[in-house]
Amino acid sequence: MGKQKRKPISVRHAIAQIVMTLAAIIMLSPTAWMISTSLKQESTVLSAVPQWLPDPVTFENYTKLFTQAQDFPVFRWLANSMFVSMSVTLLVLFVASSAAYAFSRLEFKGRDTMFMCVVATMIIPSQITLIPVFLIVQKLGWFNSYYGLIVPGLAGGFGVFLLRQFFLSIPVELEEAAFMDGAGPIGIYWRIILPLAKPALAALAIFTFIGSWNDFAWPLIITNDMNLRTLPIGIMIFQGRYTTEYGITMTAAAVCTLPIIIAFLIFQKRITEGIAMTGIKG
Amino acid sequence: MKIWNRNKYAALFLLPYTVLFLTFVVSPIIYGFVISLHKWYILAPHPTYVGIANYAAVLKDDLFRIAFMRTAFFVIMVVPAGNALSLLLAVGLNQDYKGTTFYKVAYYLPVLTSVSVVAILWRWLYSTEFGLLNYYLTKIGFALHTMAPAIFSGNWTVNWLSSTKTAMPSIALLSVWWGAGGNMLIYLAGLKNVPKELLEAAEIDGCTPFQRFWAVTWPLLKPTTLFCLVMSVIGSFQVFGQTYILTGGGPYYSTLTVILYMFQQGFSQYQMGYASAVGYVLFAAVLVFTILQFKMLSVKK
Repeated sequence: MGKQKRKPISVRHAIAQIVMTLAAIIMLSPTAWMISTSLKQESTVLSAVPQWLPDPVTFENYTKLFTQAQDFPVFRWLANSMFVSMSVTLLVLFVASSAAYAFSRLEFKGRDTMFMCVVATMIIPSQITLIPVFLIVQKLGWFNSYYGLIVPGLAGGFGVFLLRQFFLSIPVELEEAAFMDGAGPIGIYWRIILPLAKPALAALAIFTFIGSWNDFAWPLIITNDMNLRTLPIGIMIFQGRYTTEYGITMTAAAVCTLPIIIAFLIFQKRITEGIAMTGIKG
Repeated sequence: MKIWNRNKYAALFLLPYTVLFLTFVVSPIIYGFVISLHKWYILAPHPTYVGIANYAAVLKDDLFRIAFMRTAFFVIMVVPAGNALSLLLAVGLNQDYKGTTFYKVAYYLPVLTSVSVVAILWRWLYSTEFGLLNYYLTKIGFALHTMAPAIFSGNWTVNWLSSTKTAMPSIALLSVWWGAGGNMLIYLAGLKNVPKELLEAAEIDGCTPFQRFWAVTWPLLKPTTLFCLVMSVIGSFQVFGQTYILTGGGPYYSTLTVILYMFQQGFSQYQMGYASAVGYVLFAAVLVFTILQFKMLSVKK
């Protein structure tokens, strides 16, 4: 009873753990190097032997980054990124959930055809329509504006698809009870469906936020005003000036990355669940 | 729920998304095609209709051909290597060893970084004189050289981004690092869906772990694999940020990719019609590859 071929498992186990730890070190080290460099004194950044742990630890790069505001409005970029990503996230939650509610709960003519159209367009590579979307947004007068940065990002089909699949898994009986109590579709959507769909909404929120925060091609073309740049574009411009001043460029990169890493660590479970939730089973 | 006027409510709930969908998804697809049929110089007052002339020009354009071949080279490097790595990492995570959450976070972390952060960071790692990669390669090279001078030369320095031979592989390497975690989570979700009873039955029948993977897990994982492959092919064909920031397409067009070329034509040369045609040719190519993948991977079922 006691001997359940424990031995071969433990050897394999040990090897697997070593391999996985090595892989973790390799995957983490570029990011760790970035953060470590941002905390270094200028004289130790390019030391002959790479210094993985900053000694001494200093925040002077961070103060330097945010006080050079006349040349590079880093703080403004950070605020822009926050504002744009949060607006996109909140609006996507609202727009996608109401459309998903109609697609999953209300019966109307052409419903499934319409939904199929939404799904079909998800396959079209987004970069390919970059030029027509740019021209349309320009015609709307949204070049160099927050509207231009935010609104086109709300039209993706992913959120509608994800939420519709989730809404379909919510038992209809719950709504029937509310209906008996005299609730209309808006009440049911607001008081029954949305609260029950919290895990899916959370997953969608975090995906949308990360995607918007890191977006590069779209904000690059739709703005050219320094004060309307988002962080990813800003730090690229910034880096062009400080090509070999690695301390300050790594700090700019860290400022762009840390909020997302923190958000990820908080919502780590939700993200993993969210991916399982998309239900890719073929 | 038969009393409500369904169409009225449906219209209410669908209105915001429908407006957005029509404006920013449907019309760009049609409008983009219309643009591609015109000589559409953005600063000129009126675009002129030229029929399929832009497409004919794109197919004859040497730079487009180079961009397409270089992009295909990138896809061939990134898709198999990236998917193999994602699957391996997922299999490792699926064992539920101690510290799995830590491993998962570590592998996924690069996915959370913006392409411009990735580019800034790797530009330094790849730097010939100041980069970490060359620092450690030199160390290893020197150590091996002192041990066996006959076999190993002492100079292991690589010119990563500044040589035509290594520039695209370098872009591919950082792209694999950047993206592996995304597919890893999808593969992991697929692995979790493999019924435990089947794996236990195979173990009782005396299968080695490798046989078990090959005979039970791999066939059941096929839909997941197909999904990941298709998505990575579509994504990799659109590679843009890495080459735009790191190399600008150089040296000597060795990292010129199709979307970068489209971007240059559209937003540096202001040739919107030509750039749109480039986009649609790429779209057609990606579509063909996607259909081929579906044919190849689903027929064997």
